[in-house]
Parts: sequence; structure tokens; C-alpha cells
Amino acid sequence: MNELRDLARQLLTDGTVRVIIGWEDGRRGARPVFITDPADADKLIFDTRCAHNLVTYLDPRRDDVVNLGRIGIVVKGCDAKAVAGLLREAQVARDDVVLIGVRCGGVLEEAELREALELNADNVAPRCYGCDNREPALVDYLVGEAQPEPPRPTMTIDERVAALDELPLEERWAFWSEQFSKCVRCYACRQVCPLCVCELCVADKTRPQWIEPAAHARGNVSWNITRALHLAGRCVGCGECERFCPVGIPLTLVNRKLQEIVAQRFDYVVSDDPEKPAPIGDFRLDDQQEFIK
Amino acid sequence: MTDSTDTRSERPVSERCFISEAGLRDLTADLLESGTEVIAPVAEEICASPSAVASAACRMPGETPVEIEYRRLTDAAELDVSRGLPVLSLKGFFLPEHEALFCWEQRGTTITIKPVPTTFAPRVVLAAKPCDSAALEIVDKVMNWGHEDELWNGRRAATTIINLTCPSIDESCFCTAVDLAPDSTKGADGLLIPVEGGYLFEPSTDRGREFAEAHKRHFASGCGGEEHRNRQAEDERAAARTRVAANLEIDAASVRDWIDTHFEDPLLAALGARCNGCGACTSVCPTCHCFDIIDEQTGVGQGTRRRCWDGCQSRLFTLHASGHNPRDTQGARYRQRLNHKFAIYPLKFGEVLCTGCGRCTRVCHAGQDLVEILAAIDVAARRPGTTTSPQEDGGSSAAPPAEEQVAS
Amino acid sequence: MSETMVKRTPAADEAFEPRITAFVCNWCTYTGADLAGTSRLQMASNVRIIRLPCTGRIDPLFIIKAFERGADGVIVSGCHPADCHYNSGNYHARRRFAVFYDFLQFLGVDPRRLTFSWVSASEGAKWRDVVNEAVSNVRAAGPFHAYRALAPDPPAVVDEIDALLAAAEEGEGA
Repeated sequence: MNELRDLARQLLTDGTVRVIIGWEDGRRGARPVFITDPADADKLIFDTRCAHNLVTYLDPRRDDVVNLGRIGIVVKGCDAKAVAGLLREAQVARDDVVLIGVRCGGVLEEAELREALELNADNVAPRCYGCDNREPALVDYLVGEAQPEPPRPTMTIDERVAALDELPLEERWAFWSEQFSKCVRCYACRQVCPLCVCELCVADKTRPQWIEPAAHARGNVSWNITRALHLAGRCVGCGECERFCPVGIPLTLVNRKLQEIVAQRFDYVVSDDPEKPAPIGDFRLDDQQEFIK
Repeated sequence: MTDSTDTRSERPVSERCFISEAGLRDLTADLLESGTEVIAPVAEEICASPSAVASAACRMPGETPVEIEYRRLTDAAELDVSRGLPVLSLKGFFLPEHEALFCWEQRGTTITIKPVPTTFAPRVVLAAKPCDSAALEIVDKVMNWGHEDELWNGRRAATTIINLTCPSIDESCFCTAVDLAPDSTKGADGLLIPVEGGYLFEPSTDRGREFAEAHKRHFASGCGGEEHRNRQAEDERAAARTRVAANLEIDAASVRDWIDTHFEDPLLAALGARCNGCGACTSVCPTCHCFDIIDEQTGVGQGTRRRCWDGCQSRLFTLHASGHNPRDTQGARYRQRLNHKFAIYPLKFGEVLCTGCGRCTRVCHAGQDLVEILAAIDVAARRPGTTTSPQEDGGSSAAPPAEEQVAS
Repeated sequence: MSETMVKRTPAADEAFEPRITAFVCNWCTYTGADLAGTSRLQMASNVRIIRLPCTGRIDPLFIIKAFERGADGVIVSGCHPADCHYNSGNYHARRRFAVFYDFLQFLGVDPRRLTFSWVSASEGAKWRDVVNEAVSNVRAAGPFHAYRALAPDPPAVVDEIDALLAAAEEGEGA
């Protein structure tokens, strides 16, 4: 942690960045913090409660943040992939951010705690298991001690998806329509997602209106399908959408299924290399088409 | 702090009737059998599904598999009296997440409008949280400001609300800081106070008394007796108030005046930094009431006009047709939320637009903490020399004073 | 949700005529469908065609909208790979709909309701086959009440369903 704090202090003092976005301890647990004064660098922490993907604050529409000047941001592996996504889509310029990578061993599923807990099969966020980016490469600095792999959760996220896949069609529909009917259309999932940066989201479009805004099940199914599809090949699996959902819709399962589909169909896995093009928007002449008559 | 909800000295003890736990369930069963809609807290599995496999796949580790929600009961056994806080407030039963205002049909040049009913069958809310009931009375003011909202008023008129004393939930509650209490009956018709073996019931309105009268066979005869039960009730209420008061104490009037006169203060501007504009807070809030009106075309020549929840934290909330947006930064939007709840509404209607339920803090995963924020504003408000002269009488002026605001 | 779910009876099923919306590209499939017509090929009449310049223009939201508005099944059809009038529109569509097809099944939508095809301007007979097969598949899958039951239906649709059921029951009794 001292390594992180010293680095942050240094970057602020010598003017490399105008603000550091990291995590601090709050009354209810770890939370994002914006540090502009080098003296405040000691507030920075990193532990298993730091589930927040801070890259959401790099959204180019956030004038508050953009106007602060060059930003230093602390990123875990999944977060770094999100930065790569924004770079890939020319939403952020590489020179406008300084990336401080942290070596990560996973985060808690239930992260809002006063004290950090050591990870085990029963408290680790299932999405962390099997992470391929625990020492993010895209970064300008890499701090922190080497961390062990995230423990295998009682039920991995792939096992959960597989369990749903094995259900008969009607039961799957019953499950998902029930889950989506809980949606209150607060759009927390969209707001917190680091890759959801469209100037005008299709859900807000009124001429014409493709997605019914009312929070009935029909409108909700349309929204949730669209959200997921628009992230196909882009979602980094940080799980923030699910964490922020006030009504507990298991969005990581939806996102994970789409990651599987994209991997199987296009042999593509999201990485933190901004040069690698995203699968949707790209194509190959020999793409699979067995479903087309 | 004057507590208008202190019923101890006003309510004759003879009106307090004891009802056992079993009696409460029987009363619930009676209501349901007579065809009355009963709304009450219900413990629900978050990942409920007829498929056990789907349930298991859905449930994440550490997550409490059960959460409490207000639901329309289908059976008296569903009634949850654990006194946990339902995830969403009672708001949705008076201002639904989406509700049809009318349907239309057009054939040629003839347009038929089919309005929705504005009278509703009598219904009962049992074991309501005092912060949720109080919110309804607070929102009544704006729902009858200029225009009387028939759908809101119709539902309010049809509903009898019985509160259940709250034990206080956790460190994010602060109802006492906004002039309420865990045993308040504001907005409700009566109060159940847990005692040994059941509850003491105190009606607080005529409707509450009629309710007790109509169901008196479920209550013990000889109301008002049993000193030990009365003492238990008082102890329970006092303990809960103390617990909540320990979380936050503010002078709501000086917070109101400070916000009203410090629109450009950097403190207010900085508070929105973490906010993602996700709108979860406005969804779970019992007093947030903003709505949007949309037209749903469901077929050729037919459609439904609906109103649905909207939130001031969305960028689109104040987007003008011209493209100009007076609140174009999250800082401005978050400031607006504080301003509306703790200054504008109190100045206009004499009520704080917040009941201290703490849901916004609990649901904000970006770390926005209303207890912390209000405490900070309270400190700023009380610091000598930082306030411009507040209103003489605080609560009755209609227009806020001129602000030293420059065009942003 | 289940108030507007309609009870399936054998009689109602037999009376059921699938409603299918087809999103087709102007240059290939639309022309091919036209050829099927001018050639007087016999085919099921359950399909309403919506013409787009290219399958690359087809947004999954169009299909969702079709289901919302009462379609029981959907066809998406365009030019064969390498024949796209705009060079690569169909390649983009191919990727997009591969994902859409797999994802909708994960959510529990019967894949028989989704038909994708490459039909060129000269393949009138193929269009007939695609249509007939789609109608037969959707008939087997049944009315897509599950989708329409997601929100309160406008009265007209409910009336229509009731009338259908009433007619079916009358037929049974006769």
C-alpha cells in the first residue's frame, strides 16, 4: 500500500497528473476517491474490498472529471481491460491517463465491509476465478505485492451458466423473464459500466423509440437484451453492473454467457491490448453460419 | 426538538390494545378472506425460481438469499414481522413504477379515450415502516400542489396503514435527524409496538380507531391494562430512538438555510464526484416522486399513455429540446438532489423531502453517504461567519433568496 | 404476468395461424421473394415482409419489436456471402445474428421462432422453401403468448385471442 501512496504522492507533486482516482476507506467500506492534494495520498488503499471499477469515471461525457486535467487512475486487471476498450474505441487518449496497475488476487462478492477479509471459496466474487490479467500489462506503473490466484468459488460463474444452459427452454424463459421483470429501469447497470459511453443511449432515443421506457416486463426484456448485446465482445467482466443493480438481477451470468458465445463463435477473448479489434464490427470471410439456411 | 409524533402523552392508555402474534395473523387472514388487499413486508428469495438449478446458479456467495419486500399478500403466513427494511419503499403502491393514465384507440378520425379508474377498493398496509408511511404524507403536499393528483389521492384515500415500530436498522438510518422517529405514525393510521407475546396497537387516526373496532375480536379485551406491557412498549420505543439518534444529529433548519444560500459553495459541488448518476437512490427513495409521461403505441391506431418513475440524476432529466442542459454535470445534478430534498421542498411545503430511511446510502455502491454528507453540511452551517443571513422565520417563505450565482 | 397467458388447447392450436415478420434485404431476398410471386409459386401466406437496404441494417431491436407487437416468429434474410450489394453488410449481420441467435436461446426463446437465410435474387424457389419451413416451425412452436404476456396487453389483442379461443371451442362443440 505504501508503494501506491508514495507513487500517487509523487505523481501529484511533480504535476504528472492533476488528480488520482483510487479507493479509500469510507464509513461503510472501501469507496472511490478523487485526490488532488498530495497530502491526501495516504487515503489510498487497495484490498479485497476494492471491487469498484474506477474506469467508469473516465467516461468522456463526465465533464467534471475531464476538466480536472490529466488523470492518474488505479486499475486492477479487469479495469485495465476496460481502459483498453475505451482506447480501442477512441473514447480516451492514451496521453490523457496515467495507469497505475495493482497486482490483484480477486475481490469479495460482498465488498461493502468495514474490514477487508481474506478470500475463500465462500466469499470471493465468482467472476474473479480464472482471471487472465492479474498483473495488467497496459499500465504505466505496476504496484503491490504478487497476489495468489483467486480461490475457486463454491460454484464458478461458468458452472452457473452451464447449469442454466442445461435447463429446458421454458424454465430458462421463466427464470429470465422473472428476473428482468424486477428491473426498475434505474439504468445503474449502464451508468456504472465503463464501456457504456454512448453520447445518446439507444434506450433514451425517442425518435423513434425502440425500447419502451416503462418498467414493465416487456420493456425490461427489451432493455436487458439490448444492454447485453451492445456489450458483446466489449464487456470486461468486472461485475459492476450486477453489484450496482438495486434489485439483484444476476447480470454477470448474462454477460458471461455472451463472453462464451463470442469466444466460441469468433475465437475472441477481451484483453487489455487496445490494438486487438473487437469482434462485433469486425468479420472474417469464414465466420460460422450453420444457423443460416 | 419538538416531536409531533410523540403519542405517549397524547394518546389515552385505554386505547392501547394487545394483540398476540397469532391474533395478528388471524386478523390478516380475515382481511384476505373478505377480499381486502393486504400489503405487507414479505421475506422473498432473491433468486426465486421454480427451478432449483436456476436458483442455485443465480445466488452469489455471501448474498443473503432472502430479502424483504412489500408485497400484496396471498396468504397470512407470508406476513414478515422481523422488522427488516424492505428493499423498495411503499411508494410503488401509490405511485407505481409505471401506470397507465389512459388508453386510446383511433379509427379514422374518431379517437376514443379510455381513462383508468381513479377510485380504488379499500386496502390495508400492515407492518409498514414508519419512514415509509411518513414519506406518503410528505409527498401528499406536492401531489396536491396546484393540481390534485387523482391517482395518488385515490390510492391514499383507499388505504389504511398500520405501522410496526422499527428497531432501527443500522448506521445509515437517521429518521430522528429529520424530525421523525422509529415509532412515528405520520402518514399512518396506527402503530403496532412489539411486546412480549405480541403487540400493543395504538390507533392514531379515526380510520385507525375504526380499524381496531372492526377487528376487535382479534384484540385482547380490556385495552389499556397490563402495566408491564406498557412499560415494555415505552422501553422499546425509547431504545430505538436512541439508537437512531446516535447516527446523526443535525439542525435541519440551518442545513436548509445553508444549502439555500450556498448554491455555489465548493462543498456542494464536490459532493457529486463519486456519483455515477445511476439513479438507484431515486428508485429506492420513499420520497422521490418525479415521473415521466410516455406514449406507448402498441398497435396501429392504439396505444397507452403511461407515467413512469424518472430520476433527477439522469443527464436527460433537464435536457431541453434545444439541446441546452442547465444541469450538465453530475456535480450539478447531485447538488440538485440535496437542494430539492433539504432546502427547496422544506421552504415550499414546510417538510423535509427525506425520512431518514438510509436506503440511498445502502444502495449506493459508489460510496455516496447521506449521513456523512448531511453531517458535513451541518458543520458548515453551524460554523460562525460562514452563513449569509438566513430567513427570519425559516419555513414560510415561498421564494428562495437571490443567489450569488453566475451563469454556468 | 400470467393473466394474459392463454390456455393452449388442441383446438386453439389447430386454429392458430402464425404471424411472421420477415426482415429482408432489398437487393437479394426482396427481389427473390418477388420472383417467387411472379412465378406463381405456392407458399404459406403468413409472412409480412419489411424491406431494408441490407441485412447489415437490421438491428436486433427490430426483431424484439416484432415480438412485442405480436409476431410469433421472425425471418431475417439477405444476400449470400460475397454477394452483398454494399460489400460487407451481410458479414456484419452474420456476426451480429450469430450472437443474437445463441443469446436468445439462452434466455429461453424457442430457436424455431428465428429463421435466418441467404436467398439471392434468382432463388424464388428457395424463398418459398424458407417461408414454408419457417411457418411450419413456428406453428409447431405455438403462439408466442409468453412474449405478449410480459406487459398488459391492449384490449384489442386480448379480444382477438379470446375470440380465437371462443371460435375454437365452438368448433369443438359442433
